[in-house]
Amino acid sequence: MTIKIAQLSCGTEYSSVQYEIEKAARSVGAKIVYPDVSAADIDDAAKRFGFNPRSPQLKLMIARAAQLADEKYDADAVFIATCFRCAEAALIRNELRRFIQENTRLPVVTYSFTERLKASQLLTRMEALVTIVTRKELLARERQSGLTAGLDSGSSTTKAVIMENNKIIGKDWTPSGDVVASATQVLENAMKMAGVELKDIEAIGTTGYGRFTLGDHFNAKLVQEELTVNSKGAVWLADRQKGEATILDIGGMDNKAITVRDGVPDNFTMGGICAGASGRFLEMTSRRLKIDVTELGALAIKGDWRNAKMNSYCSVFGIQDLVTTLGEGKSFEDVAAAACHSVAEQVYEQQLQEIDVRRPIIEVGGTSLISGLVKQVGEVLGEEPIVPPDSQYIGAVGGALLSSGFL
Amino acid sequence: MSEMRETRLFMISPRSMLTPDQLSRMVHSFGESAIVKETCYGCLVEAPAAVVRQILAKVRETYPNEVFSKVRAYPCSDPRRCRAQHGTRPGYAQLEEEWELLSRIQYGLENIRDGDEFPEPEDRKRIPVNDFKKICEVH
Amino acid sequence: MKVFIDPPNSLVLFDLVERFGHEPLSAMAAIQERVDNLEVDMPPMNVTLDDVVKGLKYAGVEVPSGIRGRLAVWGPLIDQAEAAIIMDDCPYSFGCVGCERSNIMVQYLIKRRGIPTLHVRYPEDDQQAVEFVSRTKQFLEGLE
Repeated sequence: MTIKIAQLSCGTEYSSVQYEIEKAARSVGAKIVYPDVSAADIDDAAKRFGFNPRSPQLKLMIARAAQLADEKYDADAVFIATCFRCAEAALIRNELRRFIQENTRLPVVTYSFTERLKASQLLTRMEALVTIVTRKELLARERQSGLTAGLDSGSSTTKAVIMENNKIIGKDWTPSGDVVASATQVLENAMKMAGVELKDIEAIGTTGYGRFTLGDHFNAKLVQEELTVNSKGAVWLADRQKGEATILDIGGMDNKAITVRDGVPDNFTMGGICAGASGRFLEMTSRRLKIDVTELGALAIKGDWRNAKMNSYCSVFGIQDLVTTLGEGKSFEDVAAAACHSVAEQVYEQQLQEIDVRRPIIEVGGTSLISGLVKQVGEVLGEEPIVPPDSQYIGAVGGALLSSGFL
Repeated sequence: MSEMRETRLFMISPRSMLTPDQLSRMVHSFGESAIVKETCYGCLVEAPAAVVRQILAKVRETYPNEVFSKVRAYPCSDPRRCRAQHGTRPGYAQLEEEWELLSRIQYGLENIRDGDEFPEPEDRKRIPVNDFKKICEVH
Repeated sequence: MKVFIDPPNSLVLFDLVERFGHEPLSAMAAIQERVDNLEVDMPPMNVTLDDVVKGLKYAGVEVPSGIRGRLAVWGPLIDQAEAAIIMDDCPYSFGCVGCERSNIMVQYLIKRRGIPTLHVRYPEDDQQAVEFVSRTKQFLEGLE
């Protein structure tokens, strides 16, 4: 079955990126389609929507969205994309995303592109759209059964979890090196902790950047992108399988913000334009402070970010700020707090604007162990996020949970 | 403009009694080796540019004011622009609007006023603030 | 004479320019050149990264890529135009160009060229259409 992804966009063809978008869709078994509209539809839709942009192509986007909302056009998912730095389009992009979510049950992802966009940047997003459509039943799974393992091969760390009858019985992580070697090491340690052997494991699920390599190597039953897998792991760990939530995963290389309804994602953003809005910046800060990144959180909790000016909009300039601030004789605590605050602010500005944040916020991933960062995220969002136990293992837990669906 | 290939759409004004079928058959009857595709608005014709121009001249001669034409960037049935493949493309809504406009343009061509002078229409101006203030005070 | 039309894909303007003896410079021709180039495989329009970079001639890097790409397509046409006809007050679904900022920039680029330019209003009724067609004809016949 070919999944139909309805594209609502402006500027893709003239930015030379339409081909890349279609290539990304094709590679995950999907097809890009455009809802049919007539000239009269365009007039009506703009009036009904109430936001009448000056650009004709944006009006066309609105009309196409209305066709989907009225179920006059059949699609499985929605991809909304406009030019980076266009203010008019940015407003329409976000409001249409909201409109689609309020009026349909279609999963939607938004993206702002430059002419440098390559298909590979869209792969995970497109794959997640397809997963949500094709694996609805699997994603609705709330309990793990049997004996299964999950492997999460991330850009910074590799994690393994062994689960049996809906409980974690073994786990381990290591900084990522060689994809297979790192995964083998953590899997062996997790199995040792669980007291099981590889031959006992009934199913393996892999996720993260190295998922395909690991999937082949371990003959995994489930090989799935980290957006859907992580969100399942997060709601399982936080015991929030029902109702709404936002999952925030500030990663080593990119960040994910996913909104879920009954554990199934319906909108997500994934970003990584600058390291300044990621865990990498906190690693750089720790190195400069000559402490381990695991100590940064406790240090930041004691400080006050207001005492140290820092802006990690760009990680290079962010580190310059840090050097200057230290030179001025500010305390390590204040500097650590400022670094955490800066990352939280960047995540808020760059990503959380792209989705409607739903409460509660579940913060996960390795950076959720940095208590100072969690505190700052809470301060920026006006509500302290929930950090579930084993929050760094979401991907591995999601992999183990979902792969048990194949038993 | 490429002399190799020209794809041209011929659109019939909604004021005209001519049908796409009649137009297509007429183009066929010219006997040129062109691809002729009947459409809801008229027809698409594809051939080397020189041939298409001859067809255009003949169509103009027979129907000077009720058939309009422009070139099309994509060849007939090009999958990159095929509606069956992707759904409507951005220019579609405009063609619909222009089709309706053709009715007036036909009237304009039939009633052309050569030699008449047409002054530039004046821009609407706002009344001076003080005048507006006086009006407000009166009421 | 080469006459640039705006909206650059307008059937009505293309037809009238040709009908009254001139060569319309249109979006279709610019795009045809690209889609017929079999060496480039960037469907649907074969607008490439190089094109978008060439758009820097008309607008800086802080301008969205879609605008630079559009200007890379229309800009060279305006550069070679000897006259222009601009249809003002088009209904808002008019124009496959699609981006209002690009449209405004196109009109500005025409203005800067200093070529003979006719502004016509989108006709709302038959009488306005008579004026529209007559003025267009007079302008085109007056071009030497």
